Amino acid sequence: MDVLTPADPAASRTRPRRSHALVHDPRSERRRAAVWVGAFLTPAVALILLLLLAPFLITAWRSLFDDNGVTARFVGLSNYIALFSDPDFGRSLLNTVLWVVGTLVLPVLLGLLLAVLTHSVRWGAAARTAVVIPYALSGSATALLWTFLLKTDGAVNQTLNAVGLGGLQQEWLLHWPMNTLVMIVATTWQATGASLILFLIGLQTIPSETIEAARLDGAQGFQLFLRVILPQLRPMTVVVVGMSIVNSLKTFDIVWLLTQGGPGTASETLALTMYRQTFTLNRYGYGAAVSVVLTVVVVAASWLYLRRQVQQRSGEGV
Amino acid sequence: MSRPAAADVVSLFNDNPSWAPGFQAAGSRLRPLSGFRLAPRAVPNVSNYQQIVRMSAQTGSTTDLIKWWNGYRLRDIARAGILADVTDAWDEAARRGWSDDTALRSTFTYEGKQYGVPLYKSYYVVFYSRPAFKRLGVDVPTTWQQFLDVVDAAHAKGITPISSGGATSWESLIWFQQLVNGLDHRFYQELTAGRASYTDDVCRRAMALWSDLYRRGAFSAPDAQTTDLPAQFTQGTTAMCLYGTWNTGAFLDNGVKDADLGAFLLPPPPGGARSVIVESGVLAVSANAHKLDAAHAVARAWLNPSVQTAWSGFLRDTSADPGVVPNVGTVRQVAAQVRRERPTQAIRYWEASPPVLIEGNVQELSAFMINPTRAQATKTLTNMQHRADKEWKVWTS
Repeated sequence: MDVLTPADPAASRTRPRRSHALVHDPRSERRRAAVWVGAFLTPAVALILLLLLAPFLITAWRSLFDDNGVTARFVGLSNYIALFSDPDFGRSLLNTVLWVVGTLVLPVLLGLLLAVLTHSVRWGAAARTAVVIPYALSGSATALLWTFLLKTDGAVNQTLNAVGLGGLQQEWLLHWPMNTLVMIVATTWQATGASLILFLIGLQTIPSETIEAARLDGAQGFQLFLRVILPQLRPMTVVVVGMSIVNSLKTFDIVWLLTQGGPGTASETLALTMYRQTFTLNRYGYGAAVSVVLTVVVVAASWLYLRRQVQQRSGEGV
Repeated sequence: MSRPAAADVVSLFNDNPSWAPGFQAAGSRLRPLSGFRLAPRAVPNVSNYQQIVRMSAQTGSTTDLIKWWNGYRLRDIARAGILADVTDAWDEAARRGWSDDTALRSTFTYEGKQYGVPLYKSYYVVFYSRPAFKRLGVDVPTTWQQFLDVVDAAHAKGITPISSGGATSWESLIWFQQLVNGLDHRFYQELTAGRASYTDDVCRRAMALWSDLYRRGAFSAPDAQTTDLPAQFTQGTTAMCLYGTWNTGAFLDNGVKDADLGAFLLPPPPGGARSVIVESGVLAVSANAHKLDAAHAVARAWLNPSVQTAWSGFLRDTSADPGVVPNVGTVRQVAAQVRRERPTQAIRYWEASPPVLIEGNVQELSAFMINPTRAQATKTLTNMQHRADKEWKVWTS
């Protein structure tokens, strides 16, 4: 590559100095590019620093205090020690794990299944609409509906009684782990629509040639799905599973509205424990400690999952 | 754009937007007495409300008056120095004969001074459906055995004898406080002051009685909701509910006729004495109030019968002034029984001990309601005492 340098007197004479430096000095070009990239990145980075990192650091700092909202006293790591020796925290962690597993198994698999089944059939649109409509409802509306269904004198038990299946009546929301499981079912009813839409988009990006080629090679039915369609849905699966993990780790609204984390603390998730400690018991330091633990869990889970996926995809590329 | 408040207005922060007309009615009576009327501002979510009060009361953004809870919840913020001393308002009410209730006054006291005046004074009574009682052929019980007979009669006819929610709410404390206080009022006071144990005999007997009532079929499912109660009373599917008299208005506003609604003090269990649980809201003066003198003037005039008549008439609940009773049959019935029998009074469990202790113990009681066996009762009381040991140390540290 023919590079002009300031040491070239001929070039200095025949071209304006400024233009020469702009066009041909690679260091200057890199600097300019860096400035441009920085300019584009700055708003996003500033927002993340301002709205995510700064609150996290403030919360982490507050977790070192015994703070009742009026007075605060530095206690070091006492809140964390109390947290990890609290049996309620263990239950809360277990419930959160149940939510992660439950929402991975049910809404993601159901969304995938329904997307594949309804993708290329005539009645597919009607079926898809029926599944997607609950997704349009707010979490609060969903919780109210399911409270009406699941409370002890609610619609489910009354229906069971009316059709002669009174023996199957249950106190659905009052016993652990059944209350957590039925709330996962309620969330599945609402969240499957989102997975379905994303998987449908994924299905539409699969080139028809690969399907036809597979068919010509004799692949069909489950084999076609497992060996041809599913691998090509991988990018979308990464997104759906990643979103599902993060959403389930921060589960709050439906549990709060259906059981308030009870009876006792039986159905609490980490997000509810954080809320109860902070806003009900006015233990701001302790609640901040739960927030920090929850943040670490969410970031660690997302990072581990995405890192693994990205590495696999890089490996595939090589 | 915000505008400066009118000169004759004091701001009042509270957690109940539906009380605004009542505060305005009381304010119109306060105006000639104190020179000020009320401008209520409400945050309907109790948790959010508490956060805002705790934060804003330390700043210049506080309102002049604050609605709060009495007992240890009041002490919790009084000792933080965000409330003004209103002892003079109690002295004036006693001097003028409006209210001289030492039991109630003690629940507004921190280190010998009062930090609020009573917004209302509710009693925990058994509401009952008169049509249901008529159908069952029973009268208002005056003994524990008669009460059990009513329960059995309702149960036999497929009517839910007592609606009792609390599986996931504060309401799980209602029967616990009633039975412990009913068995031994002095013990209840010692227990809630941290000088007696949850594993003592009285608590064990109270839990046994509660468990026996469950076994008898006395209660609804523990996830019953109070909002469903007016319809159940009207339909005659539920006979009774132990609740605060502050809920009278909710019954009347949701289809229960005053003539069909009755209320009585629950007879004491065997070996107990007549005692009633009392709940009272607090009207407190913010230490950082913009109009501190005006807020004090309002607090001094609050218990004036003219103000109380307007306010308790709106609430349809009993006042701290026993001479002011709203024109509602059920409330008059309760007020008359209290006047006649003069039961000892105990503060509601919710306000009776440090808040963190109470919140945790209420959750234990909720868990008990799901599995109301004797074995679970023992476990519940042990857990409650463990929490008491821990939280009393925190409170006094």
